[in-house]
Amino acid sequence: MRSSLKLSLTASALALAAGAGQAQNIDPNLPVYEAASGVSGNLTSIGSDTLNNLMTLWSEGFRSFYPNVAVQIQGAGSGTAPPALVEGTAQFGPMSRPMRGTEIEEFEARYGYEPLPMRGAIDALGVFVHRDNPVECLSMQEVDAIFSSTRAGGADEAITTWGQVGLTGEWADRPVAMYGRNSASGTYGYFREVALFGGDYSAEVREQPGSSTVIQGVAADINGIGYSGVGYGTADVKAIDIRGADGNCYSPVAEDAASGNYPIARFLYIYMNVDPNAELEPLRAEFVRYVYSQQGQQDVVRAGFFPLVNFIAEQDLEAFGLN
Amino acid sequence: MTSYNQQLPPASGAAGVAAVATKDTIAPRARRRYSADLSALGEPALWGFGGALALGIIMIALFLMVVLYNGATTFWPKPIDQVELTDGSVIAGVERRGTIFRPDLPRLTEDQRAEVEANDGFAYRTLYQTANFDLYGDDFQWVADFETANITQPEDFYYFERQTWGVFVGRIASMTIDGQEMAYDPAVLRREQRAARERFTEIRNLERREIGGLNFQIERERLNQRRAVLRMGEDGAAPVVAESQARIAELQAEFQELQARVNEIRSTDRRYTVTLEEVGGRQIAPEISQIVRYYPANAIGFFDKLGIYVSRWWEFVSAEPREANTQGGVLPAIFGTVAMTLLMVVFVAPFGVITALYLREYAKQGRITSIVRISVNNLAGVPSIVYGVFGLGFFAYTMGGTIDQLFYPENLPNPTFGKGGILWASLTLALLTVPVVIVATEEALAAVPRSMREGSLACGASKWQTIRYVVLPKALPGIMTGMILAMARGAGEVAPLMLVGVVKLAPALPIDTFYPFIHLDRSFMHLGFHIFDVGFQSRNSEAGKPMVFVTTLLLLALIVTMNATAIIIRNRLKRKYATGQF
Repeated sequence: MRSSLKLSLTASALALAAGAGQAQNIDPNLPVYEAASGVSGNLTSIGSDTLNNLMTLWSEGFRSFYPNVAVQIQGAGSGTAPPALVEGTAQFGPMSRPMRGTEIEEFEARYGYEPLPMRGAIDALGVFVHRDNPVECLSMQEVDAIFSSTRAGGADEAITTWGQVGLTGEWADRPVAMYGRNSASGTYGYFREVALFGGDYSAEVREQPGSSTVIQGVAADINGIGYSGVGYGTADVKAIDIRGADGNCYSPVAEDAASGNYPIARFLYIYMNVDPNAELEPLRAEFVRYVYSQQGQQDVVRAGFFPLVNFIAEQDLEAFGLN
Repeated sequence: MTSYNQQLPPASGAAGVAAVATKDTIAPRARRRYSADLSALGEPALWGFGGALALGIIMIALFLMVVLYNGATTFWPKPIDQVELTDGSVIAGVERRGTIFRPDLPRLTEDQRAEVEANDGFAYRTLYQTANFDLYGDDFQWVADFETANITQPEDFYYFERQTWGVFVGRIASMTIDGQEMAYDPAVLRREQRAARERFTEIRNLERREIGGLNFQIERERLNQRRAVLRMGEDGAAPVVAESQARIAELQAEFQELQARVNEIRSTDRRYTVTLEEVGGRQIAPEISQIVRYYPANAIGFFDKLGIYVSRWWEFVSAEPREANTQGGVLPAIFGTVAMTLLMVVFVAPFGVITALYLREYAKQGRITSIVRISVNNLAGVPSIVYGVFGLGFFAYTMGGTIDQLFYPENLPNPTFGKGGILWASLTLALLTVPVVIVATEEALAAVPRSMREGSLACGASKWQTIRYVVLPKALPGIMTGMILAMARGAGEVAPLMLVGVVKLAPALPIDTFYPFIHLDRSFMHLGFHIFDVGFQSRNSEAGKPMVFVTTLLLLALIVTMNATAIIIRNRLKRKYATGQF
């Protein structure tokens, strides 16, 4: 096929141009996306706001192949995805955490089968402080003692001043101001599970409506600390290192997030209503293929997340019957 | 003269003279008048009211000025600074803003510490937009004054706006025109960039119109097949399916042809690239068609800047968004806002006016009408998000779900009307604004003089004829006022819309060239939501901030325009019916 060869050339040229400087390289084994025909219709996504930009970039890329696909993306938090899938108001339910048992049951009660997730990208949650804050590295116990009221991580007392994490001088007496996400957010749930060891948030955490709002809060507050997707960081804030299980400090970068050295990293999921007895219709099938392509993972980098490796892509394509 | 005469306030004028004339006989009265004067004149209240008004106006003016200033300056091209740092590294970027801060002294070198201490421990720092996200993994960088060795503005630095990956700041190293590498020539690049953008638009048009049309037909055939299978069963539908498959095959052939044309243009595109070099020497070589706009930021005059400024505004109001809404235009959002507001007026006008007519003209005034009026007024006080929840639950899920099952079963489980859409959003906003219209219409009807109605009735007109030909025309300007208020409220509302159909990205407009042309089931973009999204949800909130102001300015302008239009129409109506007065 002459046309598809040309297409693949474009894509690899793009990939080369983009990957030249940045450390984040995309797995060369991932297939290059090629357009199929007969793809049209509505593509609706309701769910995580962490994934909002990524879904937008994916659909912009997808639309460059299928210009007539009508794309609609809404992101108010991962908690909005399961009801939308159950009610059938969306085809894609992006979530920044796996579905809970009750959410899966609700879906199953309606359709008789479980929703199918695809893992679209890897996200490291950064712990951000104001750019002037000299703190370099925190252990998970310290993070827990800052954000939680339960201290399930085993810290003896709550951390309320920056002096308690070893800062000196004028920083020693400065209070710690916490910024976090609201409870509809998957980031909220995930952070509680991992960084708070399943405990509860302190009542003093200022809950923000969006990932970017957390960053803006920390940027404006010299005593601030907050958690958000690492891609949301700006020049006004600093992502600090987190002490891994081996006692070393790790920055939120691609390799350490993928290897698990950086302890607060996760997959980002896109849930779908896939009837196991029917074939996936072309629109959604092609979107899934696009996500697991060079171009799709290129978009992941543009959105500030970490790309997947081919191994995971193949597993998921298998699960969707698209191999 | 006695002392109390001097105490008389000068403003009391004639009364003061009278008091002087009779001071010897009725002194106590003059005294009482003095104590009553200030409050009788309303002085304290006057100052209070005047002050409150002035405060309100000042705050509104300040707000408008902030929006206007930030919004109007965003698109103005700014120079690129090349900043040499004391540690030997060099960055290049556009200055964004600066703040005073207190550096962490122990981390500084001797010289820097001395400099900062001379300033009482404070220093100034500047935020530069260094751009080049694909190379740096960052768009912005803070530079403190004490780190800066030298700032220059080299003339060969260019500011590139790209289709993807955002802005690039750097030099032009060389270019490849039609496969031939050559040295940079401004005139040639300018010409080729224009040609490449034309090719880009051509591809887009081919894809949108022709391929889009084919895709649309293929999708319709596929749905036809499913509908036939659902209605007649696998066997009964076989002939329909076969026929439809044949048509799809034909369309596929056409599709291949068009796709080949697009690929041809794309392969041409690949032979035209430009090699860009960032300040540190690293190079990238994007296709020229990927460059939306470029200019030598430090070497252009006022009129060139003006041209870029205008072209950016034009792109903003006429193009689709790029890079997850932080760049490009907001055309879908403008269109969505206007379409939704007009649709809302279409729904709210008849309902509001009919309700008010019945309440005022026909219903027997009594306890029940009072209860209805109180309820309507209370409706206006319900938080708007509650309407959103109602709209989602009732309109989208219940009504939309039913419509889908009855009319669009072939699409299920993908919803057609059973999700948020422009129709449901307009209905929800119509509900939200109907109290405003009812109240305004009732007031307008009540203001029609009784004599006019009686005159009309006395001439033998029936009640309906009186309302239709005398009362309604007279009340129309007042009704229009209600509409204007409703429109202003509706266009500025965001919270309920987030539940019933406003989305972050919906480039497909609710009205297009594909049958049935008006797609009321589609979700849409809205300027108000766009502001929220770009300001609080985008990956790089720093880059999004200027867009927030620009979009706010645009939304304000849009609402002012819609209101002004309505006011002009109202004034015309007033004039038209002015002769009808007795």
